[in-house]
Amino acid sequence: MAETEAPRFFGSRVSRVQDDRLLRGHGRYVADIELPRALAAKFVRSYEAHASVGDIDRDEAAEADGVSAVFVGSDFVESEIRCVSSYEGFQISAQPILAVDRVRFAGEAIAMVVADDEYLAEDAAEMVFADLSPLPVVLDLDAALEPSAEVLHDGWADNAYVRRAVKTPGFEAAVSGASHRVTIDLNNARHGAIPMENRACIADYDRGTQRFTLYTTTQIPHLIRAGLALAMDVPENRIRVIAPDVGGGFGVKAQLYTEEVACCLAARELGRPIKWVEDRREHFVAAHHSREHRHRVTGYFDDDGRIIALEADIRVDMGAYSVFPWTATMDNGMAMGILPGPYKIHEYSVTGTPVCTNKTPYGAYRGVARPAACFSIERLVDQIARHRGLDRAEVRRRNLLGPDDYPWHSPSGLVYDSGSLPESLESVLSLGGYEALLTQQVEARAQGRLFGIGIVAFTEQTAHTTQEFKQRGVPIVFGYETAKVRLDASGTAVVSASIHDHGQGLETTLAQIAADRLGLDLEQVRVEYGDTNQVAYGAGTFASRSAVLAGGAVTRAADDVVAILKQVAAHDLEAAIDDIVLETGRLSVKGSPNASVAISEICRLVYQRPERLPKGVESSLEASRTYDAEPGTGAYTNAAHLSTVEVDPMTGKTEVLSYAIVEDCGPMINPMIVEGQIFGGVAQGIGTALFEEFLYDENGQPLSSTFSDYLIPTMTDVPDFAVAHLETPSPFTIGGIKGMGEGGAIAPGAVIASAVEDALSHLGEPVVNELPLTPERVLAYIDEATAPGGPR
Amino acid sequence: MKPPKFAYHAPTTVREAVELLAELGDDVVVLSGGQSLIPMLNLRLANPTDVIDLGGVDGLGDVAARDGGLDVGAMVTHRQMETNDLIASTAPLAQHAAGFIGYRAIRNRGTIGGSIAHADPAAEWPAVVLALDGAITLTSAEETRNVAGDDFFESLFTTAKRPDELVTSVHLAGRFQDNWGFSEFQRRTGDFAAVAVAVGCVITDSSVVEARVALAGVAERPLRCPAAEQALTGPHTGGAAEVAAVARDSFEPVGDSHGSSEYRKRLVFAETHRAVAQALGSDIESIANA
Repeated sequence: MAETEAPRFFGSRVSRVQDDRLLRGHGRYVADIELPRALAAKFVRSYEAHASVGDIDRDEAAEADGVSAVFVGSDFVESEIRCVSSYEGFQISAQPILAVDRVRFAGEAIAMVVADDEYLAEDAAEMVFADLSPLPVVLDLDAALEPSAEVLHDGWADNAYVRRAVKTPGFEAAVSGASHRVTIDLNNARHGAIPMENRACIADYDRGTQRFTLYTTTQIPHLIRAGLALAMDVPENRIRVIAPDVGGGFGVKAQLYTEEVACCLAARELGRPIKWVEDRREHFVAAHHSREHRHRVTGYFDDDGRIIALEADIRVDMGAYSVFPWTATMDNGMAMGILPGPYKIHEYSVTGTPVCTNKTPYGAYRGVARPAACFSIERLVDQIARHRGLDRAEVRRRNLLGPDDYPWHSPSGLVYDSGSLPESLESVLSLGGYEALLTQQVEARAQGRLFGIGIVAFTEQTAHTTQEFKQRGVPIVFGYETAKVRLDASGTAVVSASIHDHGQGLETTLAQIAADRLGLDLEQVRVEYGDTNQVAYGAGTFASRSAVLAGGAVTRAADDVVAILKQVAAHDLEAAIDDIVLETGRLSVKGSPNASVAISEICRLVYQRPERLPKGVESSLEASRTYDAEPGTGAYTNAAHLSTVEVDPMTGKTEVLSYAIVEDCGPMINPMIVEGQIFGGVAQGIGTALFEEFLYDENGQPLSSTFSDYLIPTMTDVPDFAVAHLETPSPFTIGGIKGMGEGGAIAPGAVIASAVEDALSHLGEPVVNELPLTPERVLAYIDEATAPGGPR
Repeated sequence: MKPPKFAYHAPTTVREAVELLAELGDDVVVLSGGQSLIPMLNLRLANPTDVIDLGGVDGLGDVAARDGGLDVGAMVTHRQMETNDLIASTAPLAQHAAGFIGYRAIRNRGTIGGSIAHADPAAEWPAVVLALDGAITLTSAEETRNVAGDDFFESLFTTAKRPDELVTSVHLAGRFQDNWGFSEFQRRTGDFAAVAVAVGCVITDSSVVEARVALAGVAERPLRCPAAEQALTGPHTGGAAEVAAVARDSFEPVGDSHGSSEYRKRLVFAETHRAVAQALGSDIESIANA
């Protein structure tokens, strides 16, 4: 950065540089890209959840108006998607590109129609007739594990992808010494990310050079390239993946999809670009789902409500296939790891089972398992408070990790680097007006109203790299991100990064970092991403990693470039390199204010006047670096949320009245962007808490395939937010920054459940243990609370 | 989600429109605001040979006073219903109910005639027509006739309208302008009602001399509830809770993913309670355990 000044951009609420283009409709999404001679694809999807596939009659469709080809499973049988975990006993699934002999979820593609346009492709898709013979369906994760359940993959012993168990050595002794215990069962409905832009891709194959170019809506271009190379057995240097503007990802666009492979294979077969733009009904049934966890947790605690040990069984319904690059174990592993959460729990025993069912495969969604883990541990802590007659804030005070506990080695093997949990809790109580709310509750109850307050504290593992992922059994360890910084002859910069910005604001925050490090103005820095030709490798944007890892890589690369600038400037100004100081727009000689040269002049010399360069300096102002935030165990953001709700006693409908957030993600690059991420995450979390649920009938037919059946929160369902920040730097990262992209979405289920339970607590003591809190479920809790003879 | 192929017609008069209807046969749909039809086309739930667009037809967008009530043109939008002064003064129940339909963008395009012809059993307008003793004017190439609201809605998306007829206007009675109530349960603002209740009363000398209680979302068509109307009529004694309990026990709603049958009965109670209380001007009891 300009070394004599405070950073000009880091920490500022600068406007997002991408908004002008996106808000004016000048964004360029996959669907906006028109390639010459492109054909449109439409997938014919299984209407059965589980069936053997007999004859597929494609003759009529193949003859239909404008149709170029109709592909079925046997055409693409050389390719498949496998993602194998290294966990012992992992059972391997192979997902065909188009179903071959068996379909395993309703929505699985069984044929692909390619025609002149989408209308004709959809007309012809209705003419493909597949002979599907229904097989017994497996729809419930517990039923799937019964010995009598139909086993869904050939050669498997049962429907568990894997079974895992972890226990601390002192667990049994701790349990036998505990005076109290409480056990609860918790259920989280299957739902998904639901980005505004559905999936889409265009595959272009150049027969001359035998190269594929895939334009696709993805968060992880380099990993898509790796996955395509594996699935199609094609070297990576023949594949280029471009992710242009992406209209929201949230994890659902962080997997390789069969449709992407199918479009590549069809493009190679036909020698014409193939464009597929998913429609919303397809998205509901075929884009990966998430969040379906079932937990049983037991807390062991003393008279004061201090937790001595935690025991858990975690089952996740991972659907029909293991997904690339995460495998079918990711949610389970994350939940097992993070369940103890923000609490000082030493002893822990956990079993985990990711389960295979006849449902859509399961991928990442903002928060990955942490919403379910937060729901479980926070609901448990509320029950401990109830059991001991303690205020819910007080029981948290007694159990939260304190400032002296870091680095905290959690009983599940995680290393928490830093945090401010008690301070966040106290701040949110004050921000949300907890004491006044307690009075308000007394008044509301006197009027017969059901008014409740929820409080939650949590910790969010972010920017975890090598150490974390090597334990997760994934085939690719997502250890670092890459950034390349290049100054051009006019003195402006291009920053290229392996991450992708689809709402996170990285196009702005990375520019802020680069501008500071390079002594440039924000407008002089252009950030580009989303093309595997730009940088060598990197994992992409997920797991709240991009600001930390790409930010670190940009810092390193920019500093390397500045070192070259200084060499040239020293030569030009006839000074020692160590005396050259970078200032805004200039390089100066320390102590000689008049001896200075513009950065742009040095850039011009490097490229256009090589005779004026010092010996040994090449005509390049470019550096590419990676950053892994060593030791790679992650930077831990923490937060506390407080919300109030009112429940309609006649209908069970829950209204969120207020929502306060205190977030500590370390030093903020751009507080406005941090707040935008928090608000968006909480809004999505309100969907988790109150609305979102993929329902199936008894045959595995999806019942939630339009927006009239699958409800997401709208403006009227999201309250105004109160937000405050703490800034505890990470000792592990450049600048001390921490990730925070997922945090907002983690807590709302837990905090709103806590508030609903509190709203009913004067009537009785039902345990609110299932999400989403539909009005009908809440009414059942009210009935339970008011039933003669009391609850339970 | 691309519609199948169809022929598009854009008449400019009612006469042209009904002649097209007569000429083109049964597999024709009429496009008014398009808020239901366009999604149905895109989802391929509708597969017509022809679409007749009323967007350019003159004379269907007026609101006029008649016989103490109102004649509302079929192409009057939900938003106009929500903002028109004549509707607010003569049929305030209709004005109030309009605000529950979808959200602003939908209300700007959707029309009362389109909603009534579509006859979604959860929609607001059919129930409001029943509560306000409404009548539907149907025009064909041969004739113009009026059908009472009570006789118009037959079943799911099925009405007394013949395929060659067009809904051209809706009459709403004005005598319920002082005592009316409307309440509906939506999961989210703008959603279709799980249950909606519209109540129109005429009260003379502290006695309910006429009561109409109409419900949407409880059956395959909007229904009046005669038992509840009877409970509501007369020198009033029972109150909203009694009428609501009668309504609840009068229906066996079909359950779906938005609520079981049993839950919907609870909603019938809750929303009838609120609508009746509003119509009578009494207070709502705070906790009901019916």
